Amino acid sequence: MQSRPSLPLRSETSDRLSAEVPDLMATSRRRGLDLFEKLDMPSSAEEVWRYVDLPFQLGDLELAPSPDGGLDDADDVAEALGATAGHATIVDGTVTDLQIQSSGADFVSLREAAAGYDGPGMDLLGTGVAPDLDVFSAAHHAFSHDGVFLRVPANCSLERPFYVDVQATAEGTVSFPHVTLLIEANAEASVVVGFRSPAGRFLVVNPQIEAFVGDGARLRLSTVQRFGYQTQSITHERVLIGRDANARLGEVGLGGRLGRMHIVLDVAGRGASTDLVGLFFGEQEQTLDYRLFMNHLGSNSSSDVFLKGAVEDEARSVFTGLVKIEKDLSKVSAFETNRNLVLSEGASAHSVPNLEILSDDVICGHGSTVGPLEEEPLYYLMSRGLSEARAARLLVHGFFEEVISRLPHPDLAGTVREAVNRKFVEAQREGRV
Amino acid sequence: MTNTALSIRDVRAAVGSTDILKGVDLEVPFGEFHAIMGPNGSGKSTLCHVLTGKRDYQVEGSAELGGVELLDKPVSDRARLGLMQAFQYPVEVAGVGLQEFLEEIADEQAIPENELEARLEAAAAEFDMQPFLDRAVNVDLSGGEKKRSEIFQMAVLAPKVAVLDEIDSGLDIDAVREVAEAVEAMRSPEMAVVMITHYSRILRYLTPDRIHVMMDGRIVESGGPELADELEDGGYEALRQRLGIEPSAGAPREKAASEYFTDTPFDI
Repeated sequence: MQSRPSLPLRSETSDRLSAEVPDLMATSRRRGLDLFEKLDMPSSAEEVWRYVDLPFQLGDLELAPSPDGGLDDADDVAEALGATAGHATIVDGTVTDLQIQSSGADFVSLREAAAGYDGPGMDLLGTGVAPDLDVFSAAHHAFSHDGVFLRVPANCSLERPFYVDVQATAEGTVSFPHVTLLIEANAEASVVVGFRSPAGRFLVVNPQIEAFVGDGARLRLSTVQRFGYQTQSITHERVLIGRDANARLGEVGLGGRLGRMHIVLDVAGRGASTDLVGLFFGEQEQTLDYRLFMNHLGSNSSSDVFLKGAVEDEARSVFTGLVKIEKDLSKVSAFETNRNLVLSEGASAHSVPNLEILSDDVICGHGSTVGPLEEEPLYYLMSRGLSEARAARLLVHGFFEEVISRLPHPDLAGTVREAVNRKFVEAQREGRV
Repeated sequence: MTNTALSIRDVRAAVGSTDILKGVDLEVPFGEFHAIMGPNGSGKSTLCHVLTGKRDYQVEGSAELGGVELLDKPVSDRARLGLMQAFQYPVEVAGVGLQEFLEEIADEQAIPENELEARLEAAAAEFDMQPFLDRAVNVDLSGGEKKRSEIFQMAVLAPKVAVLDEIDSGLDIDAVREVAEAVEAMRSPEMAVVMITHYSRILRYLTPDRIHVMMDGRIVESGGPELADELEDGGYEALRQRLGIEPSAGAPREKAASEYFTDTPFDI
C-alpha cells in the first residue's frame, strides 16, 4: 500500500482518492464534492442539529494519512464475539486487515474491490446514505476512500458474525470509514461494527454504514461506539429492508465527546419488519445524539424502537425519532420508546418521539420518559440493607438490563453490561452523581 | 441485657403541617408477635415507614431496636441493625433479579456465600419461590406472589424485628391463610414481629401475643387476642365509643378510595 500524507479536504484530494475506490462510486463522489463545497457547517438552530455544538470546522481538518498501525489495546467486543465469519480492521478510514473464515460470502475492502472485484452489488456502493443530508454526508461521499463490502448471496445463512473494528487514531484529522452490507434474498447474516479511538486525542470520525436487506433476508446489525473522550463522531446509518425481510439493530453508545447517530430505516417491502434496541450512557461533557427516521413504505410492515439512556454530570443526550407511515398502507404497526435517566442536576436528556401517519389501518405507539432514579425502588432496596450508592448501582444496572437482554447480539451483553456499570461506578467514585 | 426487641417512645410524625403520628408508645419483646389494628388513616402505615426511615416525614421521638436508636440512622443502617418491613405495596424493581438482589445484600452485609445459598435454598423450597429467583423483583407478580416474596425475603434475611404492613391486603382467603401460616412458622425467640392489619381476618390463622389499636395517630388500646373479637363484633366505632374518643375531624387519609376495593371487605 502506498503511503499517503494527510491532505486538505479539497477537490484535488477527492480526485486523487478516486483512483483508490471503485469506479462505480465516481458519480456519488462528484455529487458529494459538489455538495460539500456548497453546504455550510450545521448550526444548532436547525432542528435536526438542536442541542449539538460542533467545536470545529470540517473544512479546517485534514484527511487522515495512511495509518501506520492500529490500536494496541485489547478489544473487548472482539473477545466477546469469539469466532467470527470474517473480521476487518479499518484504521483512519483505511482497511488494514481483512480476513474471512466463512466461504460463501464476499467480504472485501473497497480498495481490493477497485482492483478487480467483479461480483454483484457494487452498484449499491454509496447509494444508501443520501449525500445531501448534511455536510458530513457530503464530505463522506467526497472523501471516503476505503471500507468494507460484505455480500451474503441469496439463501446463504451465516451463523457467526462479521466484525468490523473501526478505529480512529490520527490527532486533528477526519476519517471516513465506509461499510456496505448486501444481504441477498432469503440470506441470513450478522454484523457487528465496533468504534474506538484513544481517549485524549481530538479527532473527527465520519463513518457511513449502508445495509441492503433483500426480500426474505435477515440481518442482525449492532454498532458498539466506545470512542475516546475527545473524539467527535458523526455516523450515518441507513438500512433498507425488503419484502418479508427482517433487520434487528442494536445501537450501543458509550464514548466520544460527541457521538451522533443519524439512522434512516426504510421498512420498505410488504411484510418487512425491524426492531432497534439501543442504549447509551453519557458522562462528563459528552453529547450522545440519536436522530432516527423510520419510514414505513410497505403494508404489513412493523417496527419497534426501544432506546434507553442515562446521562450524568454535564452530559447531554438527544433522541429525536420520526416514524413515518406512507399513504395507502394497511396493517402497519410501529412502536417507539425512549427512556432516559438523568443522574446529575447538570445533565440533560431531550427526547422527542414523533409520528407522521398517512394511512388509516395502523397500530402505533410512542412513549418517552426523562427523569432521575425513582425514589420508591431506591427506598425499597435500601430498606433491605443496601447502601444508597449500592441501591443506585443496582437500579441503573436494572434500568439497562431491559435493553441489554434484548440486544440482537446476546454475545455482547456481558461486555456492554460491564461497560455501563463501570461508567456509573466511576461517576459515583468521582462524586458526579 | 434487655429482652425488648423494639421500643417506641413518643414517636411523632408529620407531613408538612399535618400531624399523623401524635405520640406512639410501643414495646415488643423478642419472641413476641404483636398486631396493630386500626381504621384507615389512623397512622399505621406511617408508623411502618417512620421506623423504616422513609424521607417523607418530620419525625420526633425514639425507636430502639435491641437498645440501639433507629430514628437517627439512614434506611440501610436500620436494615443492617435487623429491621425489616414487609411492604404493603412491594415495589417493582425492573431488571433486577430476586436472587441477584439478595446476593447484593448478602455481599454488602458480609453474609458468607454458602450461608446465603443455604438460606435461599431452604426458603425458596418452603415458600415455593424457586421460579421467581431469576425474575425481576416484584415485576409482573400477582398481589399474593408479591406478599409471598416479602415473606420469603424475610426468611432469607432473618431480621430481628419484622414489621409487616398489611401483609394480608389484596389477597384472597387462601392466600391470607398461606401468608399467615408462613408468618406463624417463622416465629422464633430471636425475632419480634409487628403486624399491621386492617381486618381481623388474618388473626383467625395467627395468634398475636398482644393487639394494639391505633386511632388518630395514637395507640388507644392494647390487650390480648380478645381485643380482636371485640373489634370483630362492634368494629372500631364501638371501641371508640367505649373509650370515649371523639372521631377526628381531619384524620389524614393514607389510602385512595379505589384501594378499598382491592381488599375484600366482608370481614367487617
